[in-house]
Amino acid sequence: MSALTEKKRVLVAMSGGVDSSVAAALLKNQGYEVIGVHMQLWNHGQANVERFGGRCCSLIDANDARRVCDKLDIPYYVINAQDVFQDKVVDYFVHEYLQNRTPNPCVQCNTQIKFSYLFQKADELGCDWVATGHYAQVVQDGVSGHASLMRGVDPQKDQTYFLFGLTQKALRRTMMPLGNLPKMMVRKLAEEFGLAVASKPDSQEICFIGEEGYVGFIESRTTPPLRPVGLIRSFDGNIIGEHEGLYKFTVGQKKGLQLKDKEHQNYFVLGFESKTQTLIVGPEEQLYRTDLLAGKVNWIRPINQIKSHRIKAKIRSRHEESSCLVTCFENFRVQVSFDEPQRAITPGQAIVFYDGDEVLGGGFIDDVLNTSEVSKGLRV
Amino acid sequence: MSIKAAIYLDSNAGAPLKPVAREKILSLLDGEANLGGPRSFSFIPNPSSVHSYGRRAKRLSAEAREKIAGSLGATVDPEQLVFTSSGTEANQLVVRSVLEPLLNSGKSPHWITTRIEHDSNRKLVDWVRSRGGRVSELPVDSEGRIQLNGAEEVFSQGAVLCSFVWVNNETGVIADVKGLVGLSQRFGVPVHIDAAQAWGKISVDLSILQAQYVTFSGHKIGGLAGTGVLWVGRGQLVSPVILGKQEKGRRGGSENLLGVVALGAAAGDVDPEGWTKRVRPIRDRLEFEITRRISGTWVNGGRADRVANTLNLNFDGVERDGLVMALDLSGYSVSAGSACSSGVLESSHVLQAMGKTELQAMAAIRVSLVDETSWVELEGFVTALDQAVARMRSAAVRSF
Repeated sequence: MSALTEKKRVLVAMSGGVDSSVAAALLKNQGYEVIGVHMQLWNHGQANVERFGGRCCSLIDANDARRVCDKLDIPYYVINAQDVFQDKVVDYFVHEYLQNRTPNPCVQCNTQIKFSYLFQKADELGCDWVATGHYAQVVQDGVSGHASLMRGVDPQKDQTYFLFGLTQKALRRTMMPLGNLPKMMVRKLAEEFGLAVASKPDSQEICFIGEEGYVGFIESRTTPPLRPVGLIRSFDGNIIGEHEGLYKFTVGQKKGLQLKDKEHQNYFVLGFESKTQTLIVGPEEQLYRTDLLAGKVNWIRPINQIKSHRIKAKIRSRHEESSCLVTCFENFRVQVSFDEPQRAITPGQAIVFYDGDEVLGGGFIDDVLNTSEVSKGLRV
Repeated sequence: MSIKAAIYLDSNAGAPLKPVAREKILSLLDGEANLGGPRSFSFIPNPSSVHSYGRRAKRLSAEAREKIAGSLGATVDPEQLVFTSSGTEANQLVVRSVLEPLLNSGKSPHWITTRIEHDSNRKLVDWVRSRGGRVSELPVDSEGRIQLNGAEEVFSQGAVLCSFVWVNNETGVIADVKGLVGLSQRFGVPVHIDAAQAWGKISVDLSILQAQYVTFSGHKIGGLAGTGVLWVGRGQLVSPVILGKQEKGRRGGSENLLGVVALGAAAGDVDPEGWTKRVRPIRDRLEFEITRRISGTWVNGGRADRVANTLNLNFDGVERDGLVMALDLSGYSVSAGSACSSGVLESSHVLQAMGKTELQAMAAIRVSLVDETSWVELEGFVTALDQAVARMRSAAVRSF
């Protein structure tokens, strides 16, 4: 921790919420020269200030962050990241749905915006560190300099699932001062620091999607030929209905299928056949699978690529991590075989690997393998 | 860390209060309007009142009006001035006065303006179009000079008003007023000049200008923010946006006496020639030093006729909004194009009109010197700028 004891200039990413505000206050108290930076990611427009009040990216959030910085007596800047956000997060989000995948825009935002663009800003402003209000911990080895990403101590709030894309280069300059605090404590600290945001509710949904929901959002940004209608096929090969666009569905979904036959009332979305734009459905037990392929894998802790690894993995943010065997392939791809079948493995979602409390890395799910493919020898 | 006493290089956003204006404000607060009543009785009477306090207030306001009129030209009648809350209000009052009655009667009036206007005019472009009017925006060349070549065709269509900015707030470039007024006169188009940045920086003589409407702003010449002036030529109508008896019915609302007397004092003290003599050598030296020390520097509008204090700069390889912030952290207050209400910087429409890309137009900075800026302060600024530009450039390279 010797590097941390030198009191240097730190850029704190401030959303205007309670977490990043407390992070800034803590660092200021520790004697750092703190600079508050709010990224304007999305322009909801003046008319929507009321509708989006209290949500991410709104004018209210920018002003809340400003008030906190005034209170802490630190400089505050709003930076324009709208075009980067549009490019790396919003377009990606829409594109993924059109590819019949279920994206996680928060993962993308953390990797592509917060921990890449922000470091550029930090360099420009002469900052040694970047800090965020994430519930996660960065532990740096004093000898090797290697930085590890560890779970936050509050299990309800742990945000490491969204952070697997961090590189060593970024992590070595990153501070997450809330990682060792429970949320309750953070709110209490906010009150003690006298921050106006102490009782502000947590942000929940995807920040750029308003009342129209994600379906309406995608419809407003695509032409109808990009989202064709198609047939619904049951797992055993029978055509049992029609759908109004695959983008309206995600693996494990039951709502909105509108299947007429009574025996199909308990059917779930199992997957998609992209070539024919067919929706595959079936009973819940068919949702359980053991094997998947993932791509764009980033390892925070370098691992032996030749060996298979017995570790734990999480396939969505609210998933309880499960034991699996991970085998590495070329081009940042891996095959993951869970010991127990997992419900609704969903292409497009992130898979994150853990060893105890440490995040080893993660990637994006590309394919779910059915057992016959596995037995054909894909398992290494 | 607390707010350091930074070097202020943003005079075009708001100039420091002139000492004479400050004195006048303090004297009013100390009871100048109290007619010898108790000194502790801090009182700003309402000039519309009939009683002695009101009369005294009215006299103070009239004195200020006379002073302002006197500073704007020998034959300027104080009664031609309308006090407003800002230059923005004055500009919008003109455009609305001329166009709104026509729009209301279902006509499609033609308004000629330029691509480099202040937001107070620019915001009305969409408004006029949405109400069924036609707008022509004259282009500028790469140095920011309003183009008169080809403008004849625009004027020949006939128009009800031509509005243009005399001195651009971002580049400091001075418009060819003679040419624009001459063209307007040839085609019988009334002229509206936004002189907010011209007042105090170049000689303004309304008696020879031959415009119909000219607008001014208080805090650009060392008065208080919250004061503006509209000069209305003889025979021109003003239909009020805010109804009331004040300002001869042209602008309602109790007079801002404090602001008006401060503006009167500041106006009596403008001296564009002396100011230019003091400020220009320092600005020119700054420009020379920056271009000498920092390679890849572009002076926007550098080849055009500019006011003495303004320097608008781009640096090759700096294509983001970080420079203003980096300089702020080093203790120098400069500005960029314009900021929206959240504080996020927007790409400058003025520089885009001059042919810069959206990102270049976002990355530019404006240095505008105050009268008191000394070269000693600017030496440190050049070093800080050099370092900040170097950091921005290497950060941009690293991010690829």
